[in-house]
Amino acid sequence: MHEMGIASSILTAVHKELLRYPGHRAEKVGVRIGEFAGVDTESLRFCFDALVKGTEFEPLELEIEWRRAGEELDLAYLELEDAPQEVAV
Amino acid sequence: MNRVAIEKKVLSENDRIAAQLREALANTGTLALNFIGSPGAGKTALLEKTLQMLPHGTRAAVLTGDIQTENDAIRLRRYGYPVRQITTAGACHLDARMVENHLDGWLDKGLELLLIENVGNLVCPTSYDLGEDAKVVVLSVAEGEDKPLKYPGIFRKAELMILNKVDLLPHVPFQVAAALENARRIHPEIEILETSCTTGAGLDRWMNWLADRAKRKITEPRASASGV
Repeated sequence: MHEMGIASSILTAVHKELLRYPGHRAEKVGVRIGEFAGVDTESLRFCFDALVKGTEFEPLELEIEWRRAGEELDLAYLELEDAPQEVAV
Repeated sequence: MNRVAIEKKVLSENDRIAAQLREALANTGTLALNFIGSPGAGKTALLEKTLQMLPHGTRAAVLTGDIQTENDAIRLRRYGYPVRQITTAGACHLDARMVENHLDGWLDKGLELLLIENVGNLVCPTSYDLGEDAKVVVLSVAEGEDKPLKYPGIFRKAELMILNKVDLLPHVPFQVAAALENARRIHPEIEILETSCTTGAGLDRWMNWLADRAKRKITEPRASASGV
């Protein structure tokens, strides 16, 4: 039920993270979700795709690493379309 | 592969505010409990009984969350303690910002006990740290004994499970032993109390639990500041 809020938090974090890599686009964002995090992964995918559609993020893909018996709800990584050159922010 | 690591919590903004709240609650020695349960599990009734039974002069306050209406706050205000309703206008859970915005200066007045009744829901509130010392899950015998297996997140994270409405046991097929076994399968250390807010059964034990927990908070205020 709160997966739209979680999806929105993920996109906000992606946006912030991309500020470190000016000119780069993100192709994929990886999140790690524990069994006990209280997040329905199917619902999260649905919300994520709905939010991404028609925005500058499209076609950003969501990859979910599901952890049995875990409690985490973490943003793990971003995959950029070009080799990253990090700048200080 | 052009992969860059991030390694941050998705809800890092909520967690940041929750950590500030936890710090503030540690400084004032305020015990904060986050009550989570399905709609109708009896969370408000339990809080009503709690307010009635608190030792006279206890500095307690209640935040109660619902999607709409002030109804719960109106019920809870009858007992003479400060109560604020948080209407989430659609959101299925409370978050740390909502709690921070509704504290109403209570902490500066030496608050001992903050009772937070979350929105009736066993799923979403589980994800949002409110800076509380403990989550308390309220399950009623009018529900299924497999709730802990269906909604493991909250049973895993709750320090205490209150099995409520036990006065209804003669009238419902609820198997107490199975429910307790299910809860312990998900969380072996979970504490369990059985209560009825109608007959008063088990409420003394609940009030003792609450008093012990509050005492622990005062004697070890800094230890609880780091817990999540």
